[in-house]
Amino acid sequence: MIWEQRTDADDDPVVRHQRALLPLKKKGKMMITRYALAIVLLFAALTLDAQQSGSSSGTPTTPTPAFRPVTSERLLNADQEPQNWLMYSGNYKAQRFSGLDQVDKGNAHQLQMQWAYQLEALDRSESTPLVIDGVMYVTEAPSNVIALDAKTGRPYWKYEHDLPENLNFCCGRNNRGVAVLGDRLYMSTLDAHLVSLDAKTGNVIWDADVGDEGTGHSKTAAPLIVGDKVVTGIAGGEYGIRGYLDAYDAQTGERAWRFYTIPGPDHPDNRSWSGDSWRTGGSPTWITGSYDPDLNLVYWGTGNPGPDWNGDVRLGDNLYSDSVLALDGDTGEMQWYFQFTPHDIHDWDATQIPILADAEFGGRERKLMLFPNRNAFFYVLDREDGEFLLGTPYAKQTWAERLDENGRPVRAPNTAPTIEGTLVAPAVIGGSNWWSPSYSPRTGLIYVMAYDAEAEYFIREDEYVPGEHFVGGGGQQLEPETYVSAVRAIEPQTGERKWEYQVQTQSTSGLLSTAGDLVFGGTVNGFFFALDAHTGEELWHVSLGAKIHAGPMSYAVDGQQYITIAAGNVVFTFSLEDDSVDRQALGVGR
Amino acid sequence: MFKRTKCFIVVVLPMTMALLITGLATNLVAQDKNPWTSEIDVARGQDMFERHCAQCHGMEAAGGEFGPDLSTGQFRHASTNAGLYRVIAEGVPNTEMIGWHRGRIGWTRSIWQLVSYLNSLNPRAGNLVLPGDSSIGKNLYQGKGDCTSCHMIKGQGGRLGPDLSIIADQRSPDEMKSDLLDPDEHVSPRWWSMRVTHLDGTKVEGIRLNEDTYSVRILDLDEQLWSFLKRDLRESQRIETSSMPSYRETLTDKEVDDVIAYLYTLRRE
Repeated sequence: MIWEQRTDADDDPVVRHQRALLPLKKKGKMMITRYALAIVLLFAALTLDAQQSGSSSGTPTTPTPAFRPVTSERLLNADQEPQNWLMYSGNYKAQRFSGLDQVDKGNAHQLQMQWAYQLEALDRSESTPLVIDGVMYVTEAPSNVIALDAKTGRPYWKYEHDLPENLNFCCGRNNRGVAVLGDRLYMSTLDAHLVSLDAKTGNVIWDADVGDEGTGHSKTAAPLIVGDKVVTGIAGGEYGIRGYLDAYDAQTGERAWRFYTIPGPDHPDNRSWSGDSWRTGGSPTWITGSYDPDLNLVYWGTGNPGPDWNGDVRLGDNLYSDSVLALDGDTGEMQWYFQFTPHDIHDWDATQIPILADAEFGGRERKLMLFPNRNAFFYVLDREDGEFLLGTPYAKQTWAERLDENGRPVRAPNTAPTIEGTLVAPAVIGGSNWWSPSYSPRTGLIYVMAYDAEAEYFIREDEYVPGEHFVGGGGQQLEPETYVSAVRAIEPQTGERKWEYQVQTQSTSGLLSTAGDLVFGGTVNGFFFALDAHTGEELWHVSLGAKIHAGPMSYAVDGQQYITIAAGNVVFTFSLEDDSVDRQALGVGR
Repeated sequence: MFKRTKCFIVVVLPMTMALLITGLATNLVAQDKNPWTSEIDVARGQDMFERHCAQCHGMEAAGGEFGPDLSTGQFRHASTNAGLYRVIAEGVPNTEMIGWHRGRIGWTRSIWQLVSYLNSLNPRAGNLVLPGDSSIGKNLYQGKGDCTSCHMIKGQGGRLGPDLSIIADQRSPDEMKSDLLDPDEHVSPRWWSMRVTHLDGTKVEGIRLNEDTYSVRILDLDEQLWSFLKRDLRESQRIETSSMPSYRETLTDKEVDDVIAYLYTLRRE
């Protein structure tokens, strides 16, 4: 059989994807003479793109090399290559929306597992993989990266980061993913380093020290590429760090800028901290942010002030804890901030991922930021200037009577932690947490995994000792089996709940929406499910047998759409059975 | 599981860690240089090792049920003699490795003798004086040897050979010499090559990154990544020799020593 010669264009991921949209005659449908069949086959062979035919359905594809360098332009236009997942949240708007629509409401019930990859580290995986031209990059606890063939789940290479003993970190030996620029990957490590790796071999290019691991600094979040810089945060809000957000030169690893999330004494906002409390005030930056290239603004959430539950030792609003920051991408200078929970005393970090959406609001098109906060309120801000547009509860809350016209909460009485314990909703884990929400530009809805729960909050005396826990109290759920999570679809213009899908008892899973009008999510007891994005109707579920504590993502190889989720320490990948795939249908659905 | 938590010898994080271990360490490690290195010291170290350490690390120090191999000269938690001394004296927190310094008179010497014994198993852990000139070697590495086209050092260089950024922590000078002169002598399967022909005639040859019953992944000579299902291959050939040429004819003995002297400077910082 004659196949077309491979050209440079074959290597181009955009060309590959566009060709995947070409019509394909299905086998066995042409009842024609043998002679005519030969001519048709020859013609088809000359025009078919190799990506069209699945290898498992018989005819092998013309192979193409995997991975091509990811330019800044590719990152800026990530939506134009939905077969790839180029950054933690899918695109700079952090919508966690896939433009692939091969899997849809009509066929989602036919999803089948294609492969599973068992991570060696037994910790629960919190990783969202990237996929770049057929190569999947998935992180493993504590700070490892594995490159897999995205079609088969078989490894190319693995990088294992050396870690010192006796690390101090809050919440598990986790890593949530890598960033990519050019032919390099960037990963946070548990010992508060940022490493740059060669994407083809895992060789270390550079290793930058971002914080002192001896005093409770650590890093678990995927970095964000902004231009030629790697923007990356820091964790340690339970260790009395002074938080910051950094940018590093992607080529050299030199630090380009640092923004302290607690202003120093030369800044008037420092007076929002009593005494010297700002020095140990936390306000970390432990989850990935988003970016608006037109405004050149980096958006990043900040965590709780420290000590978490004892606000008596840090009187004031405690700026800029529990806020979202808008920083200049080139210099790190702050353009605006919005504080969701002034003087937080319940550990309600604002380390959610700011979702950016361009949509009508109040009668005109606006550049919006959508923020379902851990404090159980859903906020809509104007991302150009931080103006508060809307705030409404999306999960059970008893701590605030309302938000005022500027979005500042009016606290309900008797909700502060006490020695004996005070019952308040939401629970410490929040109305939601770091697990990613999703926004579908097709439905115009934001999907959030909400949790209706309450906890008893306690206050305790605490003394700052470098490298030791500094939290000043705690919280405990009284009847966790009676609380429920729910996927909630919220209309940004009104804050109105369009539908919900209840999960018993709980979910700490991120969500993915797709151009097939599906929403994917999981549960702590190991179910992975697909919902109708318009109605919330369940279309499919599967039991994966272990806690889902990561975000789903979607990609395509050789014209086939895949959905990937980590459960426990296994990465699972699903797609439609080969014979049921109509590769003509794989398109950009937005 | 937290990989390597059971590794007993901690990577010395240079100055910061050293500073954290304050007065105690200062007293324990009176100097970085080991004053007890004679053959008798090595023998005494061996005697102590077999009585106190072998139950975990094996009689030949090659690793046992509870302790890692200490005979390779590559220590997870130490890259200098002083670092080795400290690990033996203080142990590794949260592992089975307890510290052997009991405040007893004479233990400083005993621990140094243990260090000498471990060094005697493999010369890498010591501070060797090599015959070559590392600065000349660096020029040869980058020039006449053309090593950079296949090997990376701190992100600079090619991908078709092992990353050499910390090669001195991994290979002894003798092993490096063997690698340079007789590269086919010991080729790790990680560096075997693969030559495959796809059913459509596409030929790919390169480093075999990973292979299993059904599939193979290759980094080709143009440094492109490929993944193949074996059922889609018409032919495949595994090449278990090195893709690196021997330098026996290319470099003089002196030049080989110079290159090794340079490579021996490449270790963990």
